[in-house]
Amino acid sequence: MGTAIETKGLSKVFGQVRAVDGVSLNVEPGEIYGFLGLNGAGKTTTIRALLGMIRPSAGSVRVLEQPVGPNGRGPWGRVGHLVEAPAAYPELTVRENLEIARRLQGLSDKRATSRAIEQLGLTPYADRKAGVLSMGNFQRLGLARALLHEPELLILDEPANGLDPAGVVEIRDLLRSLAREKGITVFMSSHILTEVDRLATRIGIIHQGHLVEELDSQEVEALRSRRLEIRARDLGAARDALTQAGYAPKADGGKILLDERRAIDSPDQVAALLVEAGTPPTRLAVEQQSLEDHFMHLTRREG
Amino acid sequence: MNRFASAFWVEMLKARRSKAPLLTAVAFTIVPVVGGLLMIILKDPEAARTMGLISQKSQLTVGTADWPAYFGVLQQSTAMGGTMLFAFVTAWVFGREFSDRTVKDILSLPTPRWAIIAAKFALTALWTLGLSLMAFLIGLAVGAAVDIPGWSPAVVSSGFETLMRIALLNYMLMPFVALFASAGRGYLPALGWAVFSFVAAQIVSLLGWGDWLPWSVPVLLSGMFGPAGAEQVGAHSTIMVSLAFLAGAGATLAWWQCVDHAR
Repeated sequence: MGTAIETKGLSKVFGQVRAVDGVSLNVEPGEIYGFLGLNGAGKTTTIRALLGMIRPSAGSVRVLEQPVGPNGRGPWGRVGHLVEAPAAYPELTVRENLEIARRLQGLSDKRATSRAIEQLGLTPYADRKAGVLSMGNFQRLGLARALLHEPELLILDEPANGLDPAGVVEIRDLLRSLAREKGITVFMSSHILTEVDRLATRIGIIHQGHLVEELDSQEVEALRSRRLEIRARDLGAARDALTQAGYAPKADGGKILLDERRAIDSPDQVAALLVEAGTPPTRLAVEQQSLEDHFMHLTRREG
Repeated sequence: MNRFASAFWVEMLKARRSKAPLLTAVAFTIVPVVGGLLMIILKDPEAARTMGLISQKSQLTVGTADWPAYFGVLQQSTAMGGTMLFAFVTAWVFGREFSDRTVKDILSLPTPRWAIIAAKFALTALWTLGLSLMAFLIGLAVGAAVDIPGWSPAVVSSGFETLMRIALLNYMLMPFVALFASAGRGYLPALGWAVFSFVAAQIVSLLGWGDWLPWSVPVLLSGMFGPAGAEQVGAHSTIMVSLAFLAGAGATLAWWQCVDHAR
């Protein structure tokens, strides 16, 4: 199977505003690709270009190995999408809204509607008008529409928006199982960094229209890795003592970092070692760098 | 599954679940009812004054109470009121995708955009021509109840033909309303265009050039500007309306197919 999403030098200019500038993406089948960016960074413009809703000013877009747009051309029967806030016809019930999606998807299997309702936990609301749904259930309806035709690729803009904590976990588990068990590729934008951090196997960070960084699964894993942070009054002496004991200390400003498993698992032994060496620690903590730290650092650096 | 059939089924469901068809039907029922009242007044102005239907000072006694006059009232009302009511229907069918923010969900689907737009035009045709047919049938019942003199199959047939021709011409002017509802992303620009074209149609008709302006043709045909106005309408007028239809429908389709849907 080829690339699920491929953009080459994708740019979009609206008047004087360069919303997306030279974005080249490759999303492989089965990946959960987290697309991170601040408001106005170019996430939704990129997603609309992926879905053929806007015509790129430059560059190309291929989805499931087919060129996208203009004129609505694309492999849309194999793609499920949710763009920005979910929407539905308010005077129609949940089931009728999904029935509309089924018809427009050209699905002959009438059970698809009931399956999607069940999958998204909308059974109690199936015959309720969409206009009276809570924001969370409205979001579920949008996701149900995206999943109705069992697509190969899901393109989701802020899928966890409006969901309560239990709903967030539920959708996360659903997306993860779709990727693992059915090999569905998920391309999701989000500003909820913890969500992306927990779910994505690859992350792209867009800032001011530029794709400033892509992290593969190993780099994402490394970001999540823990380390032992040590502070002492005499950092030089502490480093020497740790080196002599077979550790590999790294200096980082006013602290020492140890990322070896034995140090992280037994910080008490490290403390005892430093006390014996006459340079007791003033702070000893197992820390985990978060995606949030990395993202904030990156976006501040880029300005 | 036929793409157009699916899209049309969807449009029908959306309309059926809405109150808009009922509201427009009620609004259009006013046409034959008011026409019937007018016939009562014209049949016997003194009785109408006694009943309080008209003021003692009213001069509303000009005209005859017969079926041709009654159909004339229905046709003029369809030409004038139909312009606005048909525009309301068209603005609703096309503009609701923007007010409900559902437009982004109908752009990237196996059902092509042209099929969705064609289904919307088909629904608009069914709806507006259906309203006109309903007004005609209610008109027959009201006319019979009022016991208007001068009924004959030929008069009814001619009245029906002219009424439906006016309705069809009015419908053929609706693609521009659809275009404004689409490009303006909502109801208001479409209704603004409807008011503008309505006023322009009256002015150009008064100036004597109405047979060349598509938006004046239904009004002229209805006899609103007298028999001379109706006689102005010819093949060239039908061609102008047809060109307006093709231009409006083509522009609407092109808009949906080609513009950036960035909102």
